[in-house]
Amino acid sequence: MEDIQSYEATYFTTCLVAAVALPLISFFLSFAISEKYSWIVSFSAPFLLLLSTVAAGFVFYAVWNHEPVNIQWHWFTCAGYTFTAGVLLNNIAALMLLLVTFISFIVHSYSTAYMAGDPDFRQYFAMLGFFTFSMLGIVVVDNLLLIFIFWELVGFSSYMLIGHWREKPEAAEAAKRAFLINRAGDIGFLIGLMILWANTGSFNLTDIDSLSGYSSWMTAASLCVFCGVMGKSAQFPLFSWLPDAMEGPTPVSALIHAATMVAAGIFLLARVYSLFTPPALDVVIIIGTLTALAGALSALVQFDLKKILAYSTISQLGLMVVAIGAGAPQAAMLHLFTHAFFKACLFLGAGSVIHSLHQAQHQSNTALDVQDIRNLGGLQKKLPFTFIIFLLSGAALAGVPLFTGFLSKDAILNSLMAWKGSDLSWRWLIFASAFLVSFITVLYTFRLIWSVFKGEEKVTASLSIEEPPVAMRVPMAILAATSCWLFVSWNPFDFSGWIYNGLTSVKHFHFTFIALVSAAWIVVALIVAYRIRERSFKSAVLLNGFYLDRVYRWLIESPAFQLALFTNKVDKKWIDGVLHTSAYLQLIAAHVTGWFDRVLVDGAVDGAAGLTKGIGSFARSFQSGKIQLYIFWAVFTIIIFIIWTLL
Amino acid sequence: MFPTEHFLYLGALLFSSGLIVVIVKKNMIMVLLGIELMLNASNLNLVAFNQLHPGSVAGQMFALFVIIVAVCEAAVGLAIIIQVYRYYQTSVPDEVSELNG
Amino acid sequence: MQDIALSLLLFTPLLVAFVVLFLPSTAATAFRYLTLAVNFLQVIILLIILRAYDPALALQFVEQQPWITLDLGSWGVLKAEYFLGLDGLSLPLVILSVFVMLIATISSWKIAKNVKGYFALLLILNAAIIGSFTALDFLLFYLFFEFMLLPMFFLIALWGGPKREYASIKFFLYTLLGSIFILIVMIGLYTSVHDPSVTGKLVHSFNVLHMSNATNFISNSILDPNNVWQIGWYTARQWGFLLLFVGFAIKLPMVPFHTWLPDAHVEAPTPISVILAALLLKIGGYGLLRIAFPIFPDSAVYFGWFVGLMGVISILYGGLNAMASKDLKRLIAYSSVSHMGFVLLGVASLTSEGVAGSVYQMFSHGIISAMLFLLAGVIYDRTGNRMIGNYSGLSTKMPGFTVFVLVAFFASMGLPGFSGFIAEIMVFLGAFKSNSINGPLHESLAIVATLGLLIGATYYLWTLQRMFFGPYNLKGNLSGAHMPDVNQREYSMLLPLAFVALFFGIYPQPMITIIDPFAKHFAEFVLSAGKSLMLNP
Repeated sequence: MEDIQSYEATYFTTCLVAAVALPLISFFLSFAISEKYSWIVSFSAPFLLLLSTVAAGFVFYAVWNHEPVNIQWHWFTCAGYTFTAGVLLNNIAALMLLLVTFISFIVHSYSTAYMAGDPDFRQYFAMLGFFTFSMLGIVVVDNLLLIFIFWELVGFSSYMLIGHWREKPEAAEAAKRAFLINRAGDIGFLIGLMILWANTGSFNLTDIDSLSGYSSWMTAASLCVFCGVMGKSAQFPLFSWLPDAMEGPTPVSALIHAATMVAAGIFLLARVYSLFTPPALDVVIIIGTLTALAGALSALVQFDLKKILAYSTISQLGLMVVAIGAGAPQAAMLHLFTHAFFKACLFLGAGSVIHSLHQAQHQSNTALDVQDIRNLGGLQKKLPFTFIIFLLSGAALAGVPLFTGFLSKDAILNSLMAWKGSDLSWRWLIFASAFLVSFITVLYTFRLIWSVFKGEEKVTASLSIEEPPVAMRVPMAILAATSCWLFVSWNPFDFSGWIYNGLTSVKHFHFTFIALVSAAWIVVALIVAYRIRERSFKSAVLLNGFYLDRVYRWLIESPAFQLALFTNKVDKKWIDGVLHTSAYLQLIAAHVTGWFDRVLVDGAVDGAAGLTKGIGSFARSFQSGKIQLYIFWAVFTIIIFIIWTLL
Repeated sequence: MFPTEHFLYLGALLFSSGLIVVIVKKNMIMVLLGIELMLNASNLNLVAFNQLHPGSVAGQMFALFVIIVAVCEAAVGLAIIIQVYRYYQTSVPDEVSELNG
Repeated sequence: MQDIALSLLLFTPLLVAFVVLFLPSTAATAFRYLTLAVNFLQVIILLIILRAYDPALALQFVEQQPWITLDLGSWGVLKAEYFLGLDGLSLPLVILSVFVMLIATISSWKIAKNVKGYFALLLILNAAIIGSFTALDFLLFYLFFEFMLLPMFFLIALWGGPKREYASIKFFLYTLLGSIFILIVMIGLYTSVHDPSVTGKLVHSFNVLHMSNATNFISNSILDPNNVWQIGWYTARQWGFLLLFVGFAIKLPMVPFHTWLPDAHVEAPTPISVILAALLLKIGGYGLLRIAFPIFPDSAVYFGWFVGLMGVISILYGGLNAMASKDLKRLIAYSSVSHMGFVLLGVASLTSEGVAGSVYQMFSHGIISAMLFLLAGVIYDRTGNRMIGNYSGLSTKMPGFTVFVLVAFFASMGLPGFSGFIAEIMVFLGAFKSNSINGPLHESLAIVATLGLLIGATYYLWTLQRMFFGPYNLKGNLSGAHMPDVNQREYSMLLPLAFVALFFGIYPQPMITIIDPFAKHFAEFVLSAGKSLMLNP
């Protein structure tokens, strides 16, 4: 019996290690393979990820609805405290593990075709592998310090991937911004860690779970941790990096900036939910609401295909944060789960449009911004497959009934319904905002699909556009299939399917009428969207993401840079100035003493000598060697002598 | 008979001229001549003072001695001047300044 | 072996430097290989030491021999010893020294001007550095401390860049100023401390361990803890601490005593920059941990907040200055100022995490800054120009180089997975916790210091963006310069450094095992001794 258990334990550990480590192996492999054999990468990387997904599947099967697994290894001991490196797999983590590996596998496969011919092909897959590894690290580890470590590593790989096309200056700029804004959030996270360490002396999630009561330091710590989430999950003041990050390759946007990395923040919130005190949760929900509204409104006016999706991601992340704030991490996780699939699918679809148009462009040598939806239209005939993909995943995003998005949004609305209470308060505003957001979501999704696939074909009419290769279509098809409600729950109007129930043990409130109202609301929105399909909204504020970039530039960047120049000046002018002045003063003092030495001391000595010399030379002048002069002086002296004696 | 003072005046005049010649002249021969003048001035004084002692001829004797010495001195002086001239190729005393300190 | 291991480590380079002096100056290759042989010999000795080192024991490999004993009659006996030893503070730094000196020798391979003098000085420097890190007698320490200056001065002044005279003199004078302060306190301590092992006779000792014990102070001597008289605002002991602090802070360097560093770095040849950043700066931190804090624990507690504050100022100020630097080496030099600020912050926290983090930071910064300066040297070798603005898009031409730069930059900005992260997180945790265990630092210091991480990321990423990304282009009069990728010799230096930075970032246990007992003892000792001396002197 024991043997079997230990066998199972070994088997489980192996699967877990495989799931996490295989992407890392892919990273090393992709680096190690020489340029000549770079085609191997396009097979090895997806294959390793497939293995990883399978392993993750086993892990998921073993953990789901079982006791959480917590394995700890000794990492290092310092100051009498043992920092452990451990894994804590509960339902949330297991679900996330599967999600990340699966979507990563899909994106890897997709990328083999999308990135074919790229000069930095190997580096791309290496970083993709590294990203997956770090993301899995966040998912499985059992303490906040390790989460923070992988959190930063995820930021690093995101930096590398956004800046993948290194010759493009915009890509480098966007990558830098993304990393810096993330880092700004991470600093909050770090402060949270410090507060936690000073108060509990532990980072373990299990210890955090067992915290009870509400103390002010918990509020502070949780808000600090939330800062990290705001950076990574692109919440309100820190979201401007995400639209910029669209400079990266589109599969990267799908994997990192839609499905996984940005969701890490939500995952973290769900993971350390017990740290959050009611006041902290209020802050969380307000930030979430602002983000959801800002993102949705901005998405409505964007022209860039990918930026619409980026802002939509921001908005959806806001909704998830709202769910956390409303005390329903399970609803947030459900939405995270469904969103990961349909948003990744949308991005891959966008990638497919971009790829096809690029190919066509290469053949006809026309220059045109293929991401600008004002240039697109009527692509339904040329790209029917992509259209269907867009339609399915778009419907999920818009929350059309019978699609996953409807269910997960329903879960959030339900949790809000329970949270807002029956008394009228500011909470009702948030509840209303959530409805507003889902309304706008429909509008921009409709606008996106309509302007790309319907209507008149514009600049693209002359191009011969072909559907992307199979290697791209199959991944999209798989993802699109997951938009079906069956994926989440049997009942298309009840979100509490296998996932939701797996995530919470609490009896959930299910307001059926919310589902009905929500469905009706979506239908209304669709009608409105159809009616205003030709109208375009213009708002410079929204188009530029509330000018947050500019605000940062004014408020932080340029003052910081001015300060830097100032410190440089202080260094050169003041510190070195004082130094040089003191050196000069010393020099002057040296000159003064030198002068004193020369003129006074040496002067006295020289004077005595000079006097003697003068007397000498005067006396010498008599010894001229001229006989007659001697005689003259002799006579003169005698005369003087005589005169003197006589007088 | 001339009063003694007149001789003394002449002697002093001669002595002074000789001295000036000794000091001023640029030629050693002339310097020798100046010395002769001074010697003769003293001879004149000797002879003049002897006039005050009519019984004695010591003054004349001294004068005679001086003349003899002067001759010898002139001979030696001229010899020196010739040697100096040979050695230095000049007879100007100023140019012989070996003793210059 | 145990008894002479440190002496071997210390005197081998001196001996070989002596031998080198008698070789004809034409034997350039011989000097290089001799120095390399010394470095490898030191590595072997170090490995033997590491095998025998037991982290559980405090002081090991002790060598104690009488050195100077002078009977001064009624003045007592002056006693200085040849006293070496290794503990959790000196061992990491000795490991670092041996490693970095090896790298520096490889990096010096291409030095062509006066090879004999160069390697002789390098060997002398090697001995002086090892000596400073192992000496436990104040006079001996001071001797090595001063001894380091001379070779360094000549190495910068003779093999440096265009403004080398200015830089070397500035370096020399600055450090000398610090030494004077240390000298003053050393004399004060010498008059105040007696050797307790000798009874019946007054023996003035330079032994640092004796100085660290408050009972060894002669009553009514100038630095006696019971002595209450004040000089100006502070007691004599507090002045003593302040003088020592300033003396070591100049070496560290701490803002505002840091301006010698950028100049010296910019002008020094690459290997000397490496030694300067990786080893010489550490002597400042080492001095604080070995001498200033344990000898004056009461003043250390009293001024702890000030030390921490200066640390935070250094972190931010250095970072901001790095941001404004246009010269790559200058940027790295200022980043060193910023990183050494963490050492101050960690030490001042007087928590075992913070102190361990400080020592770890010294080690890690030694590795990472060595790498950064080598990388700057790679660029300088190719073009003779270090201005950031003159380069762009280097990643397309020099992919291997770019990988190393990425590793070094991200390591330096404290990305997890590199040793710098472990160090900084421990410093932060310690500094934040300090207040809650009655340490001298307020929480806000740690919080403000975290901004340093953001500033660090900013200047490194900005540099990456300007120099390595974008289209390939060389400006100034560099256009057309040949930019070959990293060669084999450079790989042989960069790879081990990158590996070490990575290894100690992922698995810090081996180093922590060495440091931790020291850090724990140090924090507890200074805090408790300081508090008790302050309460009832």
